[in-house]
Amino acid sequence: MISLEEISMQLGTADAWIESRGAYWLAATELNVRDVARVMSAVHARFITITAYQQPDEDGFRLEYHWDLDGRLLGFAFSVSGNSIDSIYDICEGVDWIEREVHEGFGVDFLGREYEPLLMREGDTLGVNLREVSK
Amino acid sequence: MSYKIPMGPYHPALEEPYKLDLICEGETVSDAKLHIGFNFRGIEHLAETRNYIQVIALMERVCGICSNIHTLTLCQAMEKLTGQTPPPRALYIRTIMAELERLHSHVLWAGIAAKLMGFKTMFMTCFELREKVMDILQAISGNRVNYSMNKIGGVNRDIDDPLAVLKMVEALEAEMGRTVIPIFTTSSTARSRCAGIGVLTHEKAVSCGVVGPTARASGVAQDLRRAAPYAAYAEMEFSTPVEQAGDVRARLLVRALEIMESCHILRQALSKLPPGELDAGDVKLVFATGTATSRVEAPRGEVMYSVSWKENSRTPRRVHVRTPTFANMPAIRWMVLGARLADTPLIQASIDPCYSCTDR
Repeated sequence: MISLEEISMQLGTADAWIESRGAYWLAATELNVRDVARVMSAVHARFITITAYQQPDEDGFRLEYHWDLDGRLLGFAFSVSGNSIDSIYDICEGVDWIEREVHEGFGVDFLGREYEPLLMREGDTLGVNLREVSK
Repeated sequence: MSYKIPMGPYHPALEEPYKLDLICEGETVSDAKLHIGFNFRGIEHLAETRNYIQVIALMERVCGICSNIHTLTLCQAMEKLTGQTPPPRALYIRTIMAELERLHSHVLWAGIAAKLMGFKTMFMTCFELREKVMDILQAISGNRVNYSMNKIGGVNRDIDDPLAVLKMVEALEAEMGRTVIPIFTTSSTARSRCAGIGVLTHEKAVSCGVVGPTARASGVAQDLRRAAPYAAYAEMEFSTPVEQAGDVRARLLVRALEIMESCHILRQALSKLPPGELDAGDVKLVFATGTATSRVEAPRGEVMYSVSWKENSRTPRRVHVRTPTFANMPAIRWMVLGARLADTPLIQASIDPCYSCTDR
């Protein structure tokens, strides 16, 4: 079973994993989502989901990516200051639907991929299902 | 010449609405596109407007089959935020309810699969057996669909007479072993309709990240009850059936064997049910600010909840649900490639899809 320290090494970070309420988190702020996806794919981790949080005061989004590695839940959080982040669909096939759902629900753009409607129909307005439009 | 056959969103072969556009060359499917969203109810958004008691009742309605699993996963996440630990008896009752729900779900699926195979007698037999599981669930909880068993820090109801439940489980297991399992595993009808149909290779199962019986039928031996035990599963002995073929028959075999394993777990849990309280008592719940995650092995595979709480709030900031069908459904596109058009309803049904869960 691969250790979390080995994963940190592959990601090129010395930051420690923090176990918090059900998941192991690597809080390295300099991580790139595509590098994380490549390492997760290399260690045969199973992609689970992305959870999107809208930041207060229209200050972008926080996206939490989760993978399963031999029963351990690994979490990586990324701050999106605007409305876009790189897609990892070409690295991790399992991310397809959740990237489309976050795109439709929050209006977040995953760069480098094309979308087809998932929960919405052609021509529907993006970001109305889960995004707060006013406070 | 290729042509497109739209199936759904409302179609006799579909239990719930969704749409599949099948691109065919003659009778052979060459590509497929899936469209969901016909059951979208905005439950995740609604959850942000409900307090910590109301949100349990709301999330129980994500799914009509595995309603208990949703409250279990949600309560486990909220227990991490409030620092509550359920007493041992509550953990055992949660395990019993989860396995009864797995039985009910798998037998229901077996009936639907039998119907799609053209095996109507088997459909009736399975639904008669399902009624017996529903009777047990009703005897325990008073309800047949939304059981309202879970709460933060424990369960709402006790199992007063475990021996009576045990008797019903044993009768069910005997009937399963006498009729359903042998017919599904040995009959030529089941074999001819299922073997070599709708294959999902091991490689594709891994790359799509499929879960539950769909993954285990393609040789991916994952089961959260063993890999990341919750409730009382760490104290149970059971095996995880895995098949390698990846076809409809393998998915059928995995579920059939899981029915027997569920009965095995139920017998252990009911006979070892510890005495004691059902919850942590009357305590003031204080939610920590931040996110908690919880995962459970539902009948269709892994369910994951991410629950985030605002400071000094009675309502969650965010509740995100990743349901098993959401992970499994994209794989249907690969299962139907090269299949005969007539086999596509059974192939879709073989992942035991739940569109209400998927759309939320």
